[in-house]
Amino acid sequence: MNSLDPRVNRLPEIGNPQNIQDKEQLDQFGTFEVFVQPKEGKPFQHEGALHAPNLEMAYILAKETFTRRFTCTSLYVVDTRNVYVSPITERDQNAYDLVENVSDQSKEKRSFEIYHLLKRGKQHVHVGSVKASTPQEAMSVAKNQLNAGKVFNIWSVASNDIRFTSDEEKELWLTLPEKKFRDAADYKGGEKLSSFLERRIKESNV
Amino acid sequence: MSNLALKELLYKIADDQLILGHRNSEWTGFGPLLEEDIAFSSMAQDKVGHSQAMYTILHQLGEQVPDTLAFMRPANQFHNCILVELPNGEYDFSLIRHFLFDTSEAIRFEMLSQSSYQPLAELSRKIRGELRYHTLHANTWIKQLGSATEESISRLQKSLNEALPYALGIFEESPFEKKIIEAGIFEGEKELQKRWVKKVEEIIQQTNLSLPDLKITIPVFGGRTGKHSEHLQPLVDEMSEVFRIDPGAEW
Repeated sequence: MNSLDPRVNRLPEIGNPQNIQDKEQLDQFGTFEVFVQPKEGKPFQHEGALHAPNLEMAYILAKETFTRRFTCTSLYVVDTRNVYVSPITERDQNAYDLVENVSDQSKEKRSFEIYHLLKRGKQHVHVGSVKASTPQEAMSVAKNQLNAGKVFNIWSVASNDIRFTSDEEKELWLTLPEKKFRDAADYKGGEKLSSFLERRIKESNV
Repeated sequence: MSNLALKELLYKIADDQLILGHRNSEWTGFGPLLEEDIAFSSMAQDKVGHSQAMYTILHQLGEQVPDTLAFMRPANQFHNCILVELPNGEYDFSLIRHFLFDTSEAIRFEMLSQSSYQPLAELSRKIRGELRYHTLHANTWIKQLGSATEESISRLQKSLNEALPYALGIFEESPFEKKIIEAGIFEGEKELQKRWVKKVEEIIQQTNLSLPDLKITIPVFGGRTGKHSEHLQPLVDEMSEVFRIDPGAEW
Protein backbone atom coordinates (compact mmCIF):
# COMPACT_ATOMS: atom_id res chain seq x y z
CA MET A 1 0.00 0.00 0.00
CA ASN A 2 1.17 3.51 -0.66
CA SER A 3 -0.79 6.24 1.08
CA LEU A 4 -0.07 9.78 2.28
CA ASP A 5 -1.31 8.51 5.65
CA PRO A 6 1.58 6.65 7.29
CA ARG A 7 -0.92 4.68 9.40
CA VAL A 8 -2.37 3.13 6.26
CA ASN A 9 1.07 2.09 5.06
CA ARG A 10 1.68 0.36 8.39
CA LEU A 11 -1.46 -1.78 8.20
CA PRO A 12 -0.80 -5.49 7.89
CA GLU A 13 -1.74 -7.16 4.61
CA ILE A 14 -5.23 -8.49 5.06
CA GLY A 15 -5.17 -11.47 2.73
CA ASN A 16 -6.53 -11.73 -0.77
CA PRO A 17 -9.68 -9.61 -1.22
CA GLN A 18 -11.13 -12.35 -3.42
CA ASN A 19 -11.02 -14.76 -0.51
CA ILE A 20 -13.01 -12.56 1.85
CA GLN A 21 -16.18 -14.33 2.84
CA ASP A 22 -19.43 -12.46 3.33
CA LYS A 23 -20.70 -12.41 6.88
CA GLU A 24 -23.85 -14.31 7.63
CA GLN A 25 -26.93 -12.19 7.32
CA LEU A 26 -27.92 -10.41 10.52
CA ASP A 27 -24.61 -11.34 12.11
CA GLN A 28 -24.44 -8.05 13.97
CA PHE A 29 -25.20 -6.52 17.36
CA GLY A 30 -28.71 -5.56 18.33
CA THR A 31 -29.75 -1.91 18.56
CA PHE A 32 -30.27 0.37 21.54
CA GLU A 33 -32.20 3.62 21.70
CA VAL A 34 -30.42 6.70 23.06
CA PHE A 35 -32.10 9.53 25.00
CA VAL A 36 -30.37 12.79 25.88
CA GLN A 37 -31.18 15.61 28.28
CA PRO A 38 -29.82 18.78 26.64
CA LYS A 39 -30.14 20.99 29.72
CA GLU A 40 -30.88 20.59 33.44
CA GLY A 41 -34.65 20.58 33.91
CA LYS A 42 -35.43 19.89 30.23
CA PRO A 43 -37.09 16.60 29.26
CA PHE A 44 -35.07 13.74 27.78
CA GLN A 45 -35.42 13.39 24.03
CA HIS A 46 -34.72 10.53 21.67
CA GLU A 47 -31.44 11.17 19.80
CA GLY A 48 -31.00 8.00 17.76
CA ALA A 49 -29.95 4.39 17.94
CA LEU A 50 -26.69 2.46 17.95
CA HIS A 51 -25.45 -1.11 17.77
CA ALA A 52 -23.96 -2.68 20.88
CA PRO A 53 -23.50 -6.12 22.46
CA ASN A 54 -25.31 -5.17 25.68
CA LEU A 55 -26.87 -2.34 27.67
CA GLU A 56 -23.71 -1.18 29.50
CA MET A 57 -21.64 -1.18 26.31
CA ALA A 58 -24.44 0.75 24.61
CA TYR A 59 -24.19 3.37 27.35
CA ILE A 60 -20.46 4.00 26.99
CA LEU A 61 -20.63 4.02 23.19
CA ALA A 62 -23.66 6.34 23.15
CA LYS A 63 -21.88 8.85 25.37
CA GLU A 64 -19.38 9.89 22.72
CA THR A 65 -21.49 9.10 19.67
CA PHE A 66 -24.40 11.29 20.72
CA THR A 67 -23.12 13.78 23.32
CA ARG A 68 -19.65 14.88 22.27
CA ARG A 69 -20.69 18.19 20.72
CA PHE A 70 -23.82 19.94 21.93
CA THR A 71 -24.78 20.68 25.51
CA CYS A 72 -25.79 17.64 27.52
CA THR A 73 -26.48 17.05 31.20
CA SER A 74 -27.56 13.42 31.15
CA LEU A 75 -28.02 10.40 28.90
CA TYR A 76 -29.73 7.02 29.00
CA VAL A 77 -30.10 3.95 26.80
CA VAL A 78 -32.56 1.10 26.40
CA ASP A 79 -32.65 -2.04 24.26
CA THR A 80 -34.83 -1.32 21.21
CA ARG A 81 -36.78 -4.52 21.92
CA ASN A 82 -37.91 -3.00 25.23
CA VAL A 83 -39.55 0.01 23.60
CA TYR A 84 -43.29 -0.59 23.22
CA VAL A 85 -44.62 1.45 20.28
CA SER A 86 -48.21 2.65 19.77
CA PRO A 87 -49.99 2.31 16.42
CA ILE A 88 -48.90 4.84 13.81
CA THR A 89 -51.49 7.52 13.04
CA GLU A 90 -52.73 8.91 9.74
CA ARG A 91 -53.16 12.64 9.16
CA ASP A 92 -54.35 14.49 12.28
CA GLN A 93 -55.49 11.49 14.23
CA ASN A 94 -54.42 11.34 17.88
CA ALA A 95 -52.44 8.14 18.50
CA TYR A 96 -54.13 7.80 21.90
CA ASP A 97 -57.45 7.24 20.08
CA LEU A 98 -55.94 3.99 18.81
CA VAL A 99 -54.71 2.88 22.25
CA GLU A 100 -56.99 0.27 23.78
CA ASN A 101 -58.05 0.52 27.38
CA VAL A 102 -56.19 -2.19 29.25
CA SER A 103 -56.36 -3.00 32.92
CA ASP A 104 -54.20 -5.72 34.36
CA GLN A 105 -54.46 -6.37 38.09
CA SER A 106 -52.67 -9.71 37.95
CA LYS A 107 -49.13 -8.43 38.37
CA GLU A 108 -47.38 -5.89 40.57
CA LYS A 109 -47.30 -2.34 39.24
CA ARG A 110 -43.94 -0.89 38.16
CA SER A 111 -42.81 2.35 36.65
CA PHE A 112 -42.94 3.07 32.89
CA GLU A 113 -41.56 6.08 31.02
CA ILE A 114 -43.83 7.62 28.37
CA TYR A 115 -42.67 9.48 25.23
CA HIS A 116 -44.67 11.50 22.72
CA LEU A 117 -43.99 12.36 19.10
CA LEU A 118 -45.66 15.76 18.70
CA LYS A 119 -44.37 16.67 15.25
CA ARG A 120 -43.73 14.32 12.37
CA GLY A 121 -40.06 14.03 11.55
CA LYS A 122 -39.07 15.27 15.04
CA GLN A 123 -37.92 13.33 18.07
CA HIS A 124 -39.90 11.48 20.71
CA VAL A 125 -39.80 13.49 23.94
CA HIS A 126 -40.24 12.19 27.49
CA VAL A 127 -43.51 13.43 29.00
CA GLY A 128 -43.70 11.60 32.32
CA SER A 129 -43.94 8.23 34.02
CA VAL A 130 -46.88 6.05 35.02
CA LYS A 131 -47.42 2.93 37.13
CA ALA A 132 -48.62 -0.19 35.32
CA SER A 133 -48.10 -3.95 35.00
CA THR A 134 -47.34 -4.09 31.30
CA PRO A 135 -46.22 -1.59 28.63
CA GLN A 136 -49.68 -1.88 27.05
CA GLU A 137 -51.33 -0.98 30.31
CA ALA A 138 -48.85 1.87 30.78
CA MET A 139 -49.96 3.36 27.49
CA SER A 140 -53.58 3.00 28.50
CA VAL A 141 -52.87 4.77 31.83
CA ALA A 142 -51.00 7.51 29.96
CA LYS A 143 -54.06 7.95 27.74
CA ASN A 144 -55.86 9.29 30.83
CA GLN A 145 -52.96 11.02 32.57
CA LEU A 146 -50.68 12.40 29.85
CA ASN A 147 -52.89 12.67 26.76
CA ALA A 148 -51.90 15.91 25.04
CA GLY A 149 -54.62 15.96 22.36
CA LYS A 150 -52.58 15.48 19.23
CA VAL A 151 -49.86 12.90 19.55
CA PHE A 152 -48.63 11.11 16.46
CA ASN A 153 -46.85 8.27 18.20
CA ILE A 154 -46.34 7.04 21.76
CA TRP A 155 -43.58 4.94 23.30
CA SER A 156 -43.65 3.24 26.67
CA VAL A 157 -40.54 1.80 28.32
CA ALA A 158 -40.21 0.03 31.68
CA SER A 159 -37.95 2.22 33.85
CA ASN A 160 -36.11 -0.92 35.04
CA ASP A 161 -34.98 -1.66 31.49
CA ILE A 162 -33.19 1.69 31.20
CA ARG A 163 -29.48 2.26 31.87
CA PHE A 164 -29.70 5.71 33.51
CA THR A 165 -26.87 8.12 34.30
CA SER A 166 -26.23 8.14 38.06
CA ASP A 167 -25.92 11.44 39.94
CA GLU A 168 -22.16 10.85 40.27
CA GLU A 169 -21.83 10.26 36.53
CA LYS A 170 -23.32 13.64 35.66
CA GLU A 171 -19.79 15.01 35.84
CA LEU A 172 -19.05 13.16 32.57
CA TRP A 173 -20.13 16.30 30.69
CA LEU A 174 -18.37 18.88 32.90
CA THR A 175 -15.95 20.10 30.24
CA LEU A 176 -18.26 19.68 27.24
CA PRO A 177 -19.14 23.40 26.86
CA GLU A 178 -15.42 24.14 26.43
CA LYS A 179 -14.89 21.69 23.59
CA LYS A 180 -15.52 24.22 20.88
CA PHE A 181 -12.73 22.68 18.81
CA ARG A 182 -15.21 19.95 17.88
CA ASP A 183 -17.31 22.49 15.96
CA ALA A 184 -16.10 23.18 12.44
CA ALA A 185 -17.22 26.82 12.87
CA ASP A 186 -14.63 27.32 15.61
CA TYR A 187 -11.82 27.03 13.06
CA LYS A 188 -13.18 30.00 11.09
CA GLY A 189 -12.02 28.26 7.91
CA GLY A 190 -13.97 30.64 5.64
CA GLU A 191 -12.39 33.75 7.14
CA LYS A 192 -8.92 32.25 6.94
CA LEU A 193 -9.42 31.30 3.33
CA SER A 194 -10.62 34.78 2.31
CA SER A 195 -7.73 36.53 4.08
CA PHE A 196 -5.32 34.10 2.40
CA LEU A 197 -6.84 34.86 -1.01
CA GLU A 198 -6.71 38.61 -0.34
CA ARG A 199 -3.06 38.32 0.58
CA ARG A 200 -2.37 36.40 -2.62
CA ILE A 201 -4.10 39.01 -4.75
CA LYS A 202 -2.11 41.81 -3.08
CA GLU A 203 1.14 39.90 -3.57
CA SER A 204 0.42 39.28 -7.26
CA ASN A 205 -0.33 42.99 -7.75
CA VAL A 206 3.06 44.00 -6.37
CA MET B 1 11.65 23.75 47.23
CA SER B 2 13.18 24.27 43.83
CA ASN B 3 10.94 24.33 40.78
CA LEU B 4 12.97 21.44 39.40
CA ALA B 5 11.06 18.82 41.36
CA LEU B 6 7.70 20.28 40.42
CA LYS B 7 8.68 20.56 36.76
CA GLU B 8 9.82 16.95 36.72
CA LEU B 9 6.40 15.88 37.98
CA LEU B 10 4.55 18.06 35.47
CA TYR B 11 6.67 16.90 32.55
CA LYS B 12 6.18 13.22 33.20
CA ILE B 13 2.40 13.54 33.52
CA ALA B 14 2.12 15.82 30.48
CA ASP B 15 4.34 13.62 28.32
CA ASP B 16 2.37 10.47 29.25
CA GLN B 17 -0.82 12.20 28.13
CA LEU B 18 0.60 13.57 24.88
CA ILE B 19 2.27 10.36 23.76
CA LEU B 20 -0.65 8.08 24.65
CA GLY B 21 -3.08 10.60 23.20
CA HIS B 22 -1.16 10.52 19.94
CA ARG B 23 -0.86 6.72 19.94
CA ASN B 24 -4.56 6.25 20.59
CA SER B 25 -5.42 8.76 17.88
CA GLU B 26 -3.73 6.42 15.40
CA TRP B 27 -6.89 4.30 15.70
CA THR B 28 -9.05 7.10 14.28
CA GLY B 29 -10.74 5.66 11.20
CA PHE B 30 -9.55 2.13 11.97
CA GLY B 31 -11.56 1.32 15.11
CA PRO B 32 -13.41 -1.98 15.44
CA LEU B 33 -16.87 -0.35 15.51
CA LEU B 34 -17.98 3.06 14.32
CA GLU B 35 -19.13 4.11 17.79
CA GLU B 36 -15.95 2.81 19.41
CA ASP B 37 -13.83 4.61 16.83
CA ILE B 38 -15.52 7.86 17.88
CA ALA B 39 -15.19 7.13 21.59
CA PHE B 40 -11.52 6.14 21.43
CA SER B 41 -10.70 9.17 19.27
CA SER B 42 -12.49 11.52 21.65
CA MET B 43 -10.56 10.15 24.60
CA ALA B 44 -7.31 10.54 22.67
CA GLN B 45 -8.27 14.16 22.06
CA ASP B 46 -8.97 14.59 25.80
CA LYS B 47 -5.49 13.29 26.60
CA VAL B 48 -3.79 15.69 24.22
CA GLY B 49 -5.90 18.43 25.83
CA HIS B 50 -4.68 17.39 29.29
CA SER B 51 -1.09 17.55 28.09
CA GLN B 52 -1.68 21.02 26.69
CA ALA B 53 -3.04 22.19 30.06
CA MET B 54 0.04 20.78 31.81
CA TYR B 55 2.47 22.32 29.28
CA THR B 56 0.69 25.64 29.86
CA ILE B 57 1.42 25.36 33.58
CA LEU B 58 5.04 24.53 32.72
CA HIS B 59 5.20 27.58 30.48
CA GLN B 60 4.01 29.71 33.38
CA LEU B 61 6.95 28.29 35.34
CA GLY B 62 9.35 29.56 32.68
CA GLU B 63 9.47 26.68 30.19
CA GLN B 64 8.91 27.12 26.44
CA VAL B 65 5.43 27.56 24.94
CA PRO B 66 3.25 24.39 24.78
CA ASP B 67 3.67 23.80 21.02
CA THR B 68 7.45 23.97 21.30
CA LEU B 69 7.41 21.56 24.25
CA ALA B 70 5.15 19.15 22.39
CA PHE B 71 6.77 19.22 18.95
CA MET B 72 10.37 20.39 19.15
CA ARG B 73 11.96 18.05 21.70
CA PRO B 74 13.86 14.91 20.67
CA ALA B 75 12.67 11.60 22.14
CA ASN B 76 15.37 11.50 24.82
CA GLN B 77 13.96 14.66 26.37
CA PHE B 78 10.52 13.11 26.90
CA HIS B 79 9.66 11.89 30.39
CA ASN B 80 6.78 9.55 29.54
CA CYS B 81 6.81 5.94 30.70
CA ILE B 82 7.61 3.37 27.99
CA LEU B 83 4.12 1.81 28.21
CA VAL B 84 2.51 4.75 26.39
CA GLU B 85 4.96 4.80 23.48
CA LEU B 86 4.64 1.11 22.52
CA PRO B 87 2.97 0.55 19.13
CA ASN B 88 -0.78 0.01 19.20
CA GLY B 89 -0.63 -3.63 18.19
CA GLU B 90 -4.08 -5.12 17.82
CA TYR B 91 -7.10 -3.74 19.61
CA ASP B 92 -6.73 -6.10 22.57
CA PHE B 93 -3.33 -4.59 23.40
CA SER B 94 -4.59 -1.02 22.99
CA LEU B 95 -7.54 -1.78 25.28
CA ILE B 96 -5.38 -3.37 27.96
CA ARG B 97 -2.98 -0.41 27.86
CA HIS B 98 -5.94 1.98 28.03
CA PHE B 99 -7.23 0.10 31.09
CA LEU B 100 -3.87 -0.17 32.91
CA PHE B 101 -2.77 3.39 32.16
CA ASP B 102 -6.07 5.21 32.61
CA THR B 103 -6.70 3.50 35.93
CA SER B 104 -3.41 4.97 37.17
CA GLU B 105 -4.13 8.32 35.56
CA ALA B 106 -7.54 8.66 37.19
CA ILE B 107 -6.12 7.81 40.62
CA ARG B 108 -3.14 10.14 40.08
CA PHE B 109 -5.39 13.09 39.33
CA GLU B 110 -7.72 12.19 42.19
CA MET B 111 -4.67 12.38 44.49
CA LEU B 112 -3.55 15.62 42.82
CA SER B 113 -6.93 17.25 43.45
CA GLN B 114 -5.68 17.58 47.05
CA SER B 115 -2.30 18.99 45.95
CA SER B 116 -0.79 21.98 47.71
CA TYR B 117 0.15 23.25 44.25
CA GLN B 118 -3.06 25.02 43.23
CA PRO B 119 -2.79 24.95 39.41
CA LEU B 120 -2.54 21.14 39.56
CA ALA B 121 -5.35 20.80 42.09
CA GLU B 122 -7.62 22.98 39.96
CA LEU B 123 -6.82 21.12 36.74
CA SER B 124 -7.49 17.79 38.47
CA ARG B 125 -10.90 18.89 39.63
CA LYS B 126 -11.72 20.25 36.20
CA ILE B 127 -10.95 17.10 34.23
CA ARG B 128 -12.38 14.57 36.71
CA GLY B 129 -15.46 13.97 34.53
CA GLU B 130 -13.34 13.14 31.49
CA LEU B 131 -11.26 10.71 33.53
CA ARG B 132 -14.41 9.13 34.94
CA TYR B 133 -15.53 8.41 31.38
CA HIS B 134 -12.13 7.05 30.36
CA THR B 135 -12.09 4.54 33.22
CA LEU B 136 -15.78 3.65 32.79
CA HIS B 137 -15.07 2.98 29.12
CA ALA B 138 -11.96 0.88 29.86
CA ASN B 139 -13.57 -1.10 32.68
CA THR B 140 -16.67 -1.86 30.62
CA TRP B 141 -14.64 -3.18 27.69
CA ILE B 142 -12.35 -5.27 29.90
CA LYS B 143 -15.31 -6.77 31.75
CA GLN B 144 -17.10 -7.42 28.45
CA LEU B 145 -14.24 -9.03 26.51
CA GLY B 146 -12.58 -10.51 29.60
CA SER B 147 -15.54 -12.83 30.06
CA ALA B 148 -16.87 -13.24 26.52
CA THR B 149 -15.35 -15.88 24.21
CA GLU B 150 -12.31 -18.11 24.39
CA GLU B 151 -10.60 -15.94 21.77
CA SER B 152 -11.34 -12.61 23.47
CA ILE B 153 -10.20 -13.91 26.85
CA SER B 154 -6.96 -15.43 25.55
CA ARG B 155 -6.15 -12.33 23.50
CA LEU B 156 -6.67 -10.01 26.47
CA GLN B 157 -4.72 -12.32 28.76
CA LYS B 158 -1.75 -12.37 26.37
CA SER B 159 -1.81 -8.57 26.10
CA LEU B 160 -2.15 -8.19 29.85
CA ASN B 161 0.91 -10.38 30.41
CA GLU B 162 2.90 -8.38 27.85
CA ALA B 163 1.83 -4.94 29.08
CA LEU B 164 2.19 -5.49 32.80
CA PRO B 165 5.98 -5.02 33.17
CA TYR B 166 5.64 -1.75 31.23
CA ALA B 167 2.63 -0.70 33.30
CA LEU B 168 4.76 -1.04 36.43
CA GLY B 169 7.13 1.41 34.72
CA ILE B 170 4.47 4.11 35.21
CA PHE B 171 5.52 4.19 38.86
CA GLU B 172 9.26 4.71 38.32
CA GLU B 173 10.26 7.05 41.12
CA SER B 174 11.90 10.41 40.55
CA PRO B 175 14.98 11.69 42.43
CA PHE B 176 12.67 14.34 43.90
CA GLU B 177 10.09 11.91 45.31
CA LYS B 178 10.72 12.86 48.93
CA LYS B 179 10.62 16.60 48.28
CA ILE B 180 7.36 16.36 46.33
CA ILE B 181 5.71 14.36 49.10
CA GLU B 182 7.01 16.63 51.88
CA ALA B 183 5.76 19.72 50.06
CA GLY B 184 2.28 18.18 49.84
CA ILE B 185 2.31 18.37 46.06
CA PHE B 186 1.81 14.66 45.39
CA GLU B 187 1.67 11.64 47.66
CA GLY B 188 4.21 9.80 45.51
CA GLU B 189 4.48 6.92 43.07
CA LYS B 190 4.53 4.20 45.77
CA GLU B 191 1.17 5.29 47.14
CA LEU B 192 -0.22 5.61 43.62
CA GLN B 193 0.94 2.11 42.72
CA LYS B 194 -0.65 0.68 45.89
CA ARG B 195 -4.05 2.15 44.99
CA TRP B 196 -3.65 1.17 41.34
CA VAL B 197 -3.01 -2.49 42.18
CA LYS B 198 -6.16 -2.56 44.29
CA LYS B 199 -8.31 -1.10 41.52
CA VAL B 200 -6.83 -3.26 38.75
CA GLU B 201 -7.40 -6.39 40.86
CA GLU B 202 -10.98 -5.34 41.55
CA ILE B 203 -11.80 -5.17 37.83
CA ILE B 204 -9.79 -8.25 36.77
CA GLN B 205 -11.58 -10.31 39.42
CA GLN B 206 -14.85 -9.65 37.61
CA THR B 207 -13.53 -11.34 34.47
CA ASN B 208 -12.02 -14.68 33.44
CA LEU B 209 -8.59 -13.02 33.24
CA SER B 210 -5.88 -13.51 35.80
CA LEU B 211 -3.40 -10.91 36.94
CA PRO B 212 0.20 -12.17 36.77
CA ASP B 213 2.04 -12.16 40.10
CA LEU B 214 3.20 -8.58 40.56
CA LYS B 215 5.90 -9.62 43.05
CA ILE B 216 7.82 -11.48 40.35
CA THR B 217 7.03 -9.08 37.49
CA ILE B 218 10.08 -6.96 36.71
CA PRO B 219 9.12 -3.35 35.90
CA VAL B 220 10.47 -1.76 32.73
CA PHE B 221 11.94 1.55 33.86
CA GLY B 222 13.86 4.23 31.98
CA GLY B 223 11.15 6.35 30.37
CA ARG B 224 11.09 8.91 33.17
CA THR B 225 14.80 9.66 32.59
CA GLY B 226 14.60 9.79 28.80
CA LYS B 227 15.76 6.23 28.13
CA HIS B 228 13.08 5.11 25.72
CA SER B 229 12.36 2.20 23.42
CA GLU B 230 13.08 2.48 19.69
CA HIS B 231 9.38 3.31 19.16
CA LEU B 232 9.30 6.84 20.58
CA GLN B 233 11.45 8.79 18.11
CA PRO B 234 9.43 7.67 15.03
CA LEU B 235 6.24 8.64 16.90
CA VAL B 236 7.63 12.09 17.73
CA ASP B 237 8.79 12.56 14.12
CA GLU B 238 5.38 11.68 12.75
CA MET B 239 3.50 13.73 15.35
CA SER B 240 5.55 16.87 14.71
CA GLU B 241 6.05 16.53 10.96
CA VAL B 242 3.47 19.14 9.95
CA PHE B 243 4.39 21.52 12.78
CA ARG B 244 8.07 21.47 11.82
CA ILE B 245 7.34 22.38 8.19
CA ASP B 246 6.32 25.85 9.41
CA PRO B 247 6.68 26.31 13.19
CA GLY B 248 5.33 29.88 13.03
CA ALA B 249 2.12 28.99 11.20
CA GLU B 250 -1.16 30.01 12.82
CA TRP B 251 -3.85 27.35 12.95
